[in-house]
Amino acid sequence: MLAVDMAGDAVKAKNGSMVAYDGQMSFKKMSGGGEGLRGMVTRRLTGESMEVMEVRGQGTCYFADRASEINLVRLNGEKLYVEASNLLATEATLRTGTTFTGLRGASQGNGLFTTTVEGAGQAAITSDGPAVVLRVSPGMPLQVDPGAYVAHTGNLQQHFQTGIGWRTVIGESGGESFQIRFEGDGLVYVQPSERNTIGGQV
Amino acid sequence: MSTGPVVHDPYTLPVDDNVNPYAFSVDLKGQWFLQKGKMIAYYGQISFHGIGHGALDGLIRSNFHSPLHAADWVVAEGQGKMILADRAFDVNSFDLEDGNLTIRSGNLLAFQPGLSLKQSIIPGFLTLIGTGKFVAASNGAVHFVEPPVRVDPQALVGWADCPSPCHHYDHGYMRGVLGGLRALTGVGGTSGEEHQFEFVGAGQVLLQSSEVLMPEQATGAVPHEAGVPGGGTGTPGAPQGVPRLPGQLGDLQRRFGL
Repeated sequence: MLAVDMAGDAVKAKNGSMVAYDGQMSFKKMSGGGEGLRGMVTRRLTGESMEVMEVRGQGTCYFADRASEINLVRLNGEKLYVEASNLLATEATLRTGTTFTGLRGASQGNGLFTTTVEGAGQAAITSDGPAVVLRVSPGMPLQVDPGAYVAHTGNLQQHFQTGIGWRTVIGESGGESFQIRFEGDGLVYVQPSERNTIGGQV
Repeated sequence: MSTGPVVHDPYTLPVDDNVNPYAFSVDLKGQWFLQKGKMIAYYGQISFHGIGHGALDGLIRSNFHSPLHAADWVVAEGQGKMILADRAFDVNSFDLEDGNLTIRSGNLLAFQPGLSLKQSIIPGFLTLIGTGKFVAASNGAVHFVEPPVRVDPQALVGWADCPSPCHHYDHGYMRGVLGGLRALTGVGGTSGEEHQFEFVGAGQVLLQSSEVLMPEQATGAVPHEAGVPGGGTGTPGAPQGVPRLPGQLGDLQRRFGL
């Protein structure tokens, strides 16, 4: 559960994620995640839909989503890439958008696009079990199972890597045939659990 | 939470220890056996091989003796740090020293090649024999108890060094047709705890703190031979594979003396 203290300012949160509050709060649905008309159209086109509300007021507001773990990410101008379904709340100062992820998105079963959060402030992301934060630096690449990937920040290149060979075809696969390889400089958030992915059984 | 999350890199990740209660970091230098799909991330050069023919034949010959589970297991080989996790369940590592331990097959995540894996005589369980480290998942923390003890079948994770358990049924459960009916239907008040596993002797029993089971994957069957538990056909009765009624007291016909 995430508790947000507010003094007249606002946060953006996933629709319906408020579980309790004290003080004075107003909830306003934000069409298109407050990204304007262009953002709205992009989200509609990419299928990376995100239902967002704006919470404004005085007091403490509590957010939660299916009892999943909540991780706070502080951003100082860098970009956070996160799946819309894993994004719980952001400070109103942060901008959200969509970006193309390519094959990785497809391998997770999450579509070809992902959500970006940009600016300075805090964002709350959900994960199944507390996320493990792993650093990637030059010369130290990280391989992540697509089903366990939650989010990443920083300047990272993603490569989709497969271990498929003739043995996969005959059913003697390694079970870990698909990985995302991160190279560059940044942080990757992984959850101690795997979503069901297309590649999961291969 | 005022401080930021702990950031790990290959140098700060623990060596063969837990990252947090739900994730385990393996410092891989050589080989580990692991269950498919439990690796969530890794640094370094690691490759995953299915268990079958190939370069790892020798290793598998000496350490893997369960054709039934071969499809679920892979060998990780290489250098690096590897993080294991399983559905956000609690993960713990245990050391065996020239010992033996039997564990529910779905709960075992990984083990070192110092151990060798055998199929337990009890269906759905695996036995590890030898010296080395293994990683197991449980729903909630693991508790160790010493026999003599009776445990709920769903809470049992495994046992070490003690003789295999037997079934224990409360007396009322067995008393005549009425008792059987009550146990099967729940009508007339059952507590749901009439059936336990009973452990005796010296050793340790591992329990989890909930009754959520790992899904077991039916990947095969033990050979159909007389005298092989779970093998069927040895005794007259319903063939294997027919869903049993709750309680597993035997077949209905037998209960009612037909």
